[in-house]
Amino acid sequence: MAKLSADIPKLVEHFGPSLSRIPAGGWADTREDDKLVKTHCCFCGQQCGIQLRVRENKIIGFEPWEDFPFNRGKLCPKGVKRYMQDEHPDRLKSPLQRVQDKGFVPVGWDAALDRVVSEIRRIQETYGKDSFAILTGASLTNEKAYLMGKFARVALQTANIDYNGRLCMVSAGTASKKVFGIDRSGNPWSDIVAADVILVAGANIAECAPITTDYIWRARDRGAKLIVIDPRMTPIARNADLYIPVRPGGDIGVFNGMLHVMIKRGWIDQDYISKHTIGFEEVARTVEKYTPEYAARIAGVPASMIVRAAELFGPAKTSFVMHARGIEHHSKGVENCIAMMSLALATGRLGREGCGYAMITGQGNGQGGREQGQKCDQLPGNRKIDDPEARRYIAGVWDVPESSIPGKGLSAVPLMEAIHSGKIKGLISICFNPVVSLPDANFTREALGKLEFYTAIDFFLSETAQHADIVLAGSLMEEDEGTTTNVEGRVIRHRKVVSPPEGAWEDWKILLELARRLGKGNKFDYAGPREIFDELRVASKGSVSDYYGMTWDRIDENNGLFWPCPSLDHPGTPRLYEDGKFGHPDGKAHFIPVEWRPSVEMPDEEYPIILTTGRVVSHFLSGTQTRRIGALVDQTSEPFCEMHPQLATKLGIADCDFVKVESRRGHVVVHAKVVKTIRPDTVFVPYHWPHDRSANNMTIRALDPQSEIPEFKICAVRVMKAERPIDPIAKLEVQAGGIR
Amino acid sequence: MNADVSQFAKAKGSDTVRATTWGLLATAALIGGIFIGSRGMRDFDPALVSYAGATLFAAFGLGYRFSMWLRRPPTRLYWYRGWQLFLTPGSFWKNLGHLFEIFLSNFVLQRFIERRSHMRWTAHWFLAWGCLMAGAITFPLSFGWIHFETGRSSQDIYRAFLFGIPVGQFPVHSVIAELAFNALDIAAVMVLIGVFSALWRRGRDHGAMAVQQFANDLMPLILLFAICVTGLFLTASTHLMNGLHYTFLSQLHAITVIITLVYLPFGKFFHVFQRPAQLGVDFYKRAGREGEQAVCIRCELPYGSRMQMDDLKRVQEALHIHYQLLDGTHYQDVCPKCRRRNLALMQDNMWKSTRIESERS
Amino acid sequence: MTNGEFFIDYSRCIGCEACVQACGECDTHRGVSMIHLETIERRDSVQTAPQICMHCEDPICAQVCPADAIKKTPDGVVQSSLKPRCIGCSNCVMSCPFGVPKYQIDIDQMMKCDMCYDRTSVGKKPMCATVCPSGALTFTTMQDIQRTRQGVPVNEWRFGVEIVRTKVYVMVPKEVTRVDVDLVQIATTAAALPPDPYDVALMLES
Repeated sequence: MAKLSADIPKLVEHFGPSLSRIPAGGWADTREDDKLVKTHCCFCGQQCGIQLRVRENKIIGFEPWEDFPFNRGKLCPKGVKRYMQDEHPDRLKSPLQRVQDKGFVPVGWDAALDRVVSEIRRIQETYGKDSFAILTGASLTNEKAYLMGKFARVALQTANIDYNGRLCMVSAGTASKKVFGIDRSGNPWSDIVAADVILVAGANIAECAPITTDYIWRARDRGAKLIVIDPRMTPIARNADLYIPVRPGGDIGVFNGMLHVMIKRGWIDQDYISKHTIGFEEVARTVEKYTPEYAARIAGVPASMIVRAAELFGPAKTSFVMHARGIEHHSKGVENCIAMMSLALATGRLGREGCGYAMITGQGNGQGGREQGQKCDQLPGNRKIDDPEARRYIAGVWDVPESSIPGKGLSAVPLMEAIHSGKIKGLISICFNPVVSLPDANFTREALGKLEFYTAIDFFLSETAQHADIVLAGSLMEEDEGTTTNVEGRVIRHRKVVSPPEGAWEDWKILLELARRLGKGNKFDYAGPREIFDELRVASKGSVSDYYGMTWDRIDENNGLFWPCPSLDHPGTPRLYEDGKFGHPDGKAHFIPVEWRPSVEMPDEEYPIILTTGRVVSHFLSGTQTRRIGALVDQTSEPFCEMHPQLATKLGIADCDFVKVESRRGHVVVHAKVVKTIRPDTVFVPYHWPHDRSANNMTIRALDPQSEIPEFKICAVRVMKAERPIDPIAKLEVQAGGIR
Repeated sequence: MNADVSQFAKAKGSDTVRATTWGLLATAALIGGIFIGSRGMRDFDPALVSYAGATLFAAFGLGYRFSMWLRRPPTRLYWYRGWQLFLTPGSFWKNLGHLFEIFLSNFVLQRFIERRSHMRWTAHWFLAWGCLMAGAITFPLSFGWIHFETGRSSQDIYRAFLFGIPVGQFPVHSVIAELAFNALDIAAVMVLIGVFSALWRRGRDHGAMAVQQFANDLMPLILLFAICVTGLFLTASTHLMNGLHYTFLSQLHAITVIITLVYLPFGKFFHVFQRPAQLGVDFYKRAGREGEQAVCIRCELPYGSRMQMDDLKRVQEALHIHYQLLDGTHYQDVCPKCRRRNLALMQDNMWKSTRIESERS
Repeated sequence: MTNGEFFIDYSRCIGCEACVQACGECDTHRGVSMIHLETIERRDSVQTAPQICMHCEDPICAQVCPADAIKKTPDGVVQSSLKPRCIGCSNCVMSCPFGVPKYQIDIDQMMKCDMCYDRTSVGKKPMCATVCPSGALTFTTMQDIQRTRQGVPVNEWRFGVEIVRTKVYVMVPKEVTRVDVDLVQIATTAAALPPDPYDVALMLES
């Protein structure tokens, strides 16, 4: 039974989100004898270096870490205030058990773990191994990601494990693998600075990867040109040399149109193409028909912009191509990425200083989280789970029969659908808040209600954990140690800054204890994360993402190491594809032709407006952490509906009016934000909030067939003026889903 | 009301001559006060002459400094505005009531300091009231304004005189007597509590440590500490040590007090005289809130009181600050928010224009 | 960073507010943020800009203070008002050409950016300039800024006929030697630009 155990206001009253506004110990000043611990931000994929200030085992502040090369002390507001999640009143400090109509009551660890284990046994014995699923997250350390994958395959022997990177990096990863043969940004960020032209598509860098702004601005100080493709004029687009306000879903029009012009004008590197790639002819044939005029109709922008983009990008000596969720969150996300990669490939501007390609990872361990085998189709080391050789090797590392390792399971959205249809009966989740982050939130809520047993490992009671039967009090990033792999492919170390509060456990310890009680203790015999990492190194040995040559000590000494790093004397590989060597067995990059096709749900008469969703700078993902930090909530307290004055006038809406944004699946009531910086055919709602304020009430459960990423970036809605909502949810505090 | 305030902003004549005159006037007034109050020096205690002398010097310094301070155009304008608003016919009684409120919360309780920090308040309250209490006893004593005599009929009775007039008597061995004779010790203990609280805060608060200066922030605490400790030694010498080193100690005590009195007009202690003189700002702010509002010429939103903006223009003129813009408007009529936005827009636009030009060429 | 100078470049700002959040972590005013982050006109543009105290050579805020409460340190940093003196009149707030001082109503006192005096006085960078991801706020040496940036740092401003020199520099294109301040609006920032430089709908029509 995973229905809510009490109504939402009651749960919010007990478990928050409430706001932390004052650090532990008050606004005390710094002291010389405070301990400063060098670690990394727990939030986005850039994993900025930061020093946390500790006094008496409490984190009371921070100090910039200027020597860390990636961010050199720079931080975004989330990084600055992240320390306020420590000593938080909402922090879970013991396991909880749901009591119908009462909410949750604290319960001892033994009782909680026994209950979880007995439910796992019961459900798997009754309905089969695969009826118990695991949902994990890409903000887990490499060690935990590895552990989760192994736990699923060895302890539970379920095929059904997937992670929330499915909502994040899978389109980029799939495309990168297909074209370059490796799933990683091709270059260290320092290469951005040396580029003469930078092409950014679908990446609100200023808000979602703020530190990257510094690299782009430094390139511009050298005279670099900046092209930004986005339906909204983002802060970095404002000063771009060219801003292309593409229609959501029209990106392939821009990319293919640019390539068309570049081929026509001779701005491609034939020599590089013939030496290091295959398949160009077919791509050239495909883009033949993408004249600027044809491309412009797809992209929904003037043809002159596409020509101008080609003129800026084509003849440049060096260039850097970057994309993020804006082009990836589509039912054609992989194709969007492939079309963009073709631009870099056709100019041969890859694998050298100032020449490269990058996908901007979103989550804390967006890169590492997808390499260690917690994806439904993967084993550690980015290995395919249906590759017999990979299975044999990993079975050896794990010391289990190869046949005991399950096959490919369901990815996140189909997994939720299987819960909804009753195929999956039990669930463990960690580091994932699908009620807020999966598309079609009403469906997700319904699905969770059908589970026979659900346990969540969490440090705060997230909106999803509210549905759990047992909640296991886990650990924050700074309460445990391990490694993550940042946006550049740099593996870095998170240090244990403080111990978890009395009554909460490190996540890995919870998993080990569950495994032991499931009779698999001998397969999970680690003294701590360092030993898990050492096994991970072996598991990744010889794979594409080879960590074998890395040790925690080496990582510390070098301010991080880039994979692949196959041996202990290997310096790591900051830049991939040097000398035109790619990851495919033939050593070449593979051009893949892509044609534009419409998105799954296009606007029509009934729902005439395009909804696109995204993030704001002061919140992270589903907001479980940032919606509990007062300063960040003050910065952006509520979601809003951004719309152009033309559209607003047509709909009779004024700035700050309440508006109802409604799709075929659900709606929100939020404030209108009337701005000229968005296309008039598109509205934007950020997605960090729950319940009636959740943008994912509207989004569509349509997937990219290759990556199975949901189409968050386009669905059809209608927008109308609304009355101030006065229901109990609306009356909640804003961070809990209320509205003011 | 605005017609004649321009003159307030501009002081005429030589600053030093005026200030010296005021200093001398203050000294003369005090000398007159001492002479009359001590009934032609009859009640004056010659033993305390050094204290009185130092006080005369302090009076000169305070008069001088106060006058110099009032010569500053903004101070001058506020001073006059404060009196003008306070004495506005028709609201005098209301103003008096308000003044009493301010006196109670800002002076007696010092609530505004409490809102800054409790530690700061604790330190300041003890320091302030300790000093005020001590001052209320020692100044009249050294001026010969009050004195004590043993009763004519009984050696066990003490009689107190103010300006030579008997104001009361009490037995030597009574609670009142104990309080009266040890009042300075009580004050000293209060000041010491304040000094230690202040030092504790200043020694721990990293922010305070960064901005504090020895002469301005620590020197006054050291002086007060020295006065209190030497004063308490005197008591100890009398009651516990049979007058051991009494003369030396009393000289030492006198020196600390004299140094402090000489320091009074120039250091941090000047605020004791400065702040009460500016209670008028409260009336000014109130009049500003209730009066016409200035509207920003850029965003067309109200941002402050019209009176203050007009006064500021006068003050700026007196200070030779010229905010008249080339298009005839006045920068003082732009709200602070718009000033910030305007600067950013201007600078951003410089870059935009340069980029557009370089693109064209 | 003993020879560090403060450089501001409004045009780089991305409005993330890292500076606003970090400012409140400075020991001289922990818990209270002193920096301004302006959204210029959200309806028209995403432009934002920070404003720190420019630390004038002859601070107008100090000149117009009736209580003589604003002091400059020997190293040229204009401090928050002296607590024993400030009477909360807001003359400084209304007179500062850069719109910097903040009147704190709860404590009836003016506070302002003091360039993180607790940090800069011991050779560290100010909080805001350390964390700023865009380089809109930068604390570095003069040589470094000249080496890495286009344009030049300038610290002279003209407001009407009032010339103001500041400790903090602003980055401007090469030909500029002084910032002459006129009143501008977003729609009329330059003759070179269309009437609405950031209207996406107009871009699509062109």
